[in-house]
Amino acid sequence: MQRVAQSSVTTCVAGSYSSCKASGASGSDPEVMGYEQFPAGLRVLVVDDDVTCLRIIEQMLHRCRYNVTTCSEATVALNLLRERKGCFDVVLSDVHMPDMDGYKLLEHVGLEMDLPVIMMSADGRTSAVMKGIRHGACDYLIKPIREEELKNIWQHVLRKKWNENKELEHSGSLEENDRHKRGNDDAEYASSANEGAEGMKAQKKRSNAKDEDDGELENDDLSTSKKPRVVWSVELHQQFVSAVNQLGLDKAVPKRILELMNVPGLTRENVASHLQKFRLYLKRLSGVAQQQSGVSNTICGPMDPNVKLGSLGQFDIQALAASGQIPPQTLAALHAELLGRPTGNLMSAMDQPALLQALLQGSKHIPIEHGVAYGQPLVKCQSDISKHFQQSKVSSVEDISSGFGAWPSNILGTVGPSNNLVGLSAQNTNMLMDLWQQQQQQQRQQQQELQPQSILSEPGCLINVQPSCLVVPTQSSASLQAGDSPASVSQNCHFNQSSVIDYSLVSSRSNNSSLNIAQFSNGGLNTTAGVPGGYLAPGSISSPMSSCSVNANNNLGQQGQNSTITFSAARQLPGFAPNRHDIQGSYTAKTVEMVDQGRLQNLGFVSKGTCFPSRFAVDEFESPMSNLGHGKLYVDNNRVKLEPNVDFMENTKVGIPILHHFSSNDVTSVFTE
Amino acid sequence: MEVGQLQRRLVDYTKSLLTEGILDDQFSQLQKLQDESNPGFLVEVVSLFFEDSEKLLNDITRALDQQGVDFKTVDAYVHQLKGSSASVGALKLKNACVAFRSFCEEQSMEGCLRSLQEVKQEYYNVKNKVETLFKMEKQIVAAGGSVPKTE
Repeated sequence: MQRVAQSSVTTCVAGSYSSCKASGASGSDPEVMGYEQFPAGLRVLVVDDDVTCLRIIEQMLHRCRYNVTTCSEATVALNLLRERKGCFDVVLSDVHMPDMDGYKLLEHVGLEMDLPVIMMSADGRTSAVMKGIRHGACDYLIKPIREEELKNIWQHVLRKKWNENKELEHSGSLEENDRHKRGNDDAEYASSANEGAEGMKAQKKRSNAKDEDDGELENDDLSTSKKPRVVWSVELHQQFVSAVNQLGLDKAVPKRILELMNVPGLTRENVASHLQKFRLYLKRLSGVAQQQSGVSNTICGPMDPNVKLGSLGQFDIQALAASGQIPPQTLAALHAELLGRPTGNLMSAMDQPALLQALLQGSKHIPIEHGVAYGQPLVKCQSDISKHFQQSKVSSVEDISSGFGAWPSNILGTVGPSNNLVGLSAQNTNMLMDLWQQQQQQQRQQQQELQPQSILSEPGCLINVQPSCLVVPTQSSASLQAGDSPASVSQNCHFNQSSVIDYSLVSSRSNNSSLNIAQFSNGGLNTTAGVPGGYLAPGSISSPMSSCSVNANNNLGQQGQNSTITFSAARQLPGFAPNRHDIQGSYTAKTVEMVDQGRLQNLGFVSKGTCFPSRFAVDEFESPMSNLGHGKLYVDNNRVKLEPNVDFMENTKVGIPILHHFSSNDVTSVFTE
Repeated sequence: MEVGQLQRRLVDYTKSLLTEGILDDQFSQLQKLQDESNPGFLVEVVSLFFEDSEKLLNDITRALDQQGVDFKTVDAYVHQLKGSSASVGALKLKNACVAFRSFCEEQSMEGCLRSLQEVKQEYYNVKNKVETLFKMEKQIVAAGGSVPKTE
């Protein structure tokens, strides 16, 4: 049998990835894609273990003039999606597949790539269809599928895109931050929740039929016709997390949680469904939540058995990216930083455009979970990175503090809408806490010029600047958002000569974009983002933490805008560790506690927008400027390394274009040495 | 036979298969999918189907041959076969699969074995008929004609 070779069709069989023929640039936006004849050229990935069906659908799609890629294995498809981000507009997947459940794939895709997913199955029972929709599928087709049905799948792509854009508008720029504060935050949160909506929902394994919907309230601003749901704001989630903490994860039952939370209007069902998500999140982190300390190994342990550490981070980062929380560059940088080693897979998998796009759309909160996940790699990397930092020494806490102080403020100031992820190592945590506290003060004020970071430079780092960190030059900030001065932040990056600190700070709309750190120091795990602690925990508490994800959202509008600032202190941390040992001790307990909480908090955000600094950040830097121009960054993790400031600065410029993409959300300030 | 005759025979034959319920409209759809850029599409798909089905039938047979039969596994195979049958339009075969599945649910060994026989029968039947159909098409093409599309 001769396979008809079609120029626009690529078939991937297990183990072989054919090149993705992306006819357009990234994204599925007709304008962006540049298709004159949209929907023709829509890039579809079909996943079905039944090769007969696969071939038939491929042919049908081809006749619809779509760009078809087929895959008979879900795992292969997922890898393909990861490797070629931005290469696909929509995914068609069978429900019953031997290597991976269709719903699981749906969940992954929604989480990592935020693409519309259409389920297919011969099972046309209402319950099955409902399950598909509940998992977040955009549509559910019953086999045998007719060509007419496939002709219209483009609507899902557009709808999703427009909804996301609308949410983006909601989130708006910095100026709108305040407005976001109230309901809007909810809206955004909800909207981001929605948009990943399809994807996010996919995450929830709704095996529990009795669980009502997401239990999330949709803000009226959202144009979808979904029924009202409870919006799990940062505060609400924090309350949830502290309730769970109080009860103990094992004993946390919705009823008791509800009682502890004591939130009027919240129902047991809301809590139950949120708890389910939360558990899923925790599970995904594979035990991070359980770890209090000594996370290095544990945390590093891949959460998902199938996912390597790198992959995991990748996953998370992608998820974050997908959720549009963090600018790719930031993520990339952070991630790379965290991993302390080439996150080759990660980077490669993420295509800048896609990420950018996601980020642009996103401005959603960054699920802490992602931050956490991210942190994990950091932890691991920590050890690797340690040696790098030997030389860097933290002269003193004060120094660091000051360094931090200056730095954060800048970051915060500039960040604005974007979320920043900064990973901090545990050791630095202590110091960081001090710093943060200081920071906090500073945060509230204008963004200060970052002083040449003594801290940064000294310890070599609190923050390791990823070579690929995306430094947001002032100009970019302007372009990015309303005035956020991401740029300023970036400039600050310079201050650290020796240490490269890549802080991709993406602050979600909040003007505060307070680093979680600040929050953290407040013991603010309760901060909305509250994450810092969380992330620190894994790494921070126990040992030189690889990274701490600070959720910058805390200050941000309290609601969803979770900007997670993950300080990739990974590199630096090692350096700090030795010096801070004494301090660390004192903080440990606190940290742990905070972290725990933070972590949980972060975890809770799972589905909401995660920021993963990593890939993106790295990506950003890694790629030559030219790449940036195209908006496609391929990060070669292997190349992640410290780079001199000068270079970085230059890169900064490059970064601008990229940042540009994000406009409203993100400000990635990358501090590089 | 001249082309016109061959073509008429083909059309009639196809119609009869549809009437008997061996094939359904889905098959006609597939025929329509075939176009100039994809001339061997139908043959390709059907061949894929045959290959896949035979493998599945073997799997099912083996699964039923086990000491402790796992009906869930059997059901999964049958579900798959059902899906592909539906995709190519093998109606009777698909229906046989549906019946088979209910026996799997009941966990009735006897019912399953019987169903397996029926499924196999239907499979070979449709395989036969479709292969005959393709032969007719080949003859037409060989005689210089084009395969008529079924309405």
